Amino acid sequence: MSGRKIKVPPVPASGLAAKIPPGVYPVFSSADAMRLMRVMRDPETTAQAARIISEKAEELRGAVLDYIDKVEEAARVFDPAAIYEQAHEIRGLAGNAGLIATGRIANGLCRYLDALATANREPEQSVVALHLDAIARAARAEDEATRLGDAVANELAELVDKKLAEINQA
Amino acid sequence: MSGAAFDNLKALVVEDNLHMRTLLRSLLTALGLKQVYEAGDGEAAFKILCSKLPDLILTDLTMKPVDGIAFTRRVRLANDSPNPYVPIIMVTGHTERRRVEAARDAGVTEFLAKPITAQGLFLRIAEIVERPRPYVRCAAYFGPDRRRRADESYLGPWRRKEDFEKKLEIK
Repeated sequence: MSGRKIKVPPVPASGLAAKIPPGVYPVFSSADAMRLMRVMRDPETTAQAARIISEKAEELRGAVLDYIDKVEEAARVFDPAAIYEQAHEIRGLAGNAGLIATGRIANGLCRYLDALATANREPEQSVVALHLDAIARAARAEDEATRLGDAVANELAELVDKKLAEINQA
Repeated sequence: MSGAAFDNLKALVVEDNLHMRTLLRSLLTALGLKQVYEAGDGEAAFKILCSKLPDLILTDLTMKPVDGIAFTRRVRLANDSPNPYVPIIMVTGHTERRRVEAARDAGVTEFLAKPITAQGLFLRIAEIVERPRPYVRCAAYFGPDRRRRADESYLGPWRRKEDFEKKLEIK
């Protein structure tokens, strides 16, 4: 598939969209495709990949805690763009760090901040503070039960849904 | 791992978060890919695309200065793009509809939501390898066909040559 420069066909003069089927454009060779599929279907490969992910969890948890320090810093000066940026990093890493509730709460905060930014409105400090507190408690907890925090994540998701509904109605 | 290493296949991982980037790289290496290149944003990634000609790209969405959407658009449409057809899997934590739609409209081939699972990644790669999608070329878009399923009840708008032919058949 590699090795040569490939060009896109011009826009059709008819104005109607043209379809370019696989094969007309380069795809994986059938030999590579078969080998890749064989490797991916091998339970040993899946197990090895799952091991790689799980071995990374502790390192990712450390990274999440660093981002929590940064998001708390952004919250002190109440900079919604910076809060979103750090919360987005947290939601991206938390799941693979084993911090499921942290990821869910961070995702809710991102949804809230994104909707407000799109609507050109200021986020409520109390909503942000509630989320950041829950994110930090869930991520810093040493015990599994507090770390999971599903009930908190559910309640905050309901709060975000309610706030987003208010924005949509306005 | 069951298969031999892939000497010829090349992949590019574009991700600004070092932890996530090394994780994705490790997963591709576990598949047997020997040539896995890394970039921290879309600008650096495009340079690697031009020099290494990867067969598969995994990219994050939010990066600075050039994000995954702008990078994908450049891969698909820029005159200096060496392979506008290269499959692009967007690995993202974004769930906001408008961002996902923007990425799709830039020409992303597949989406993989974070947290990453081995099964999720392999399914997306399998989709690309086993069922490559047609590409669509029109004034407003170039990229993989965004219509995943043929909808028999679809009544328009008719924007494609095949739609027009189908419409004539219906009449």
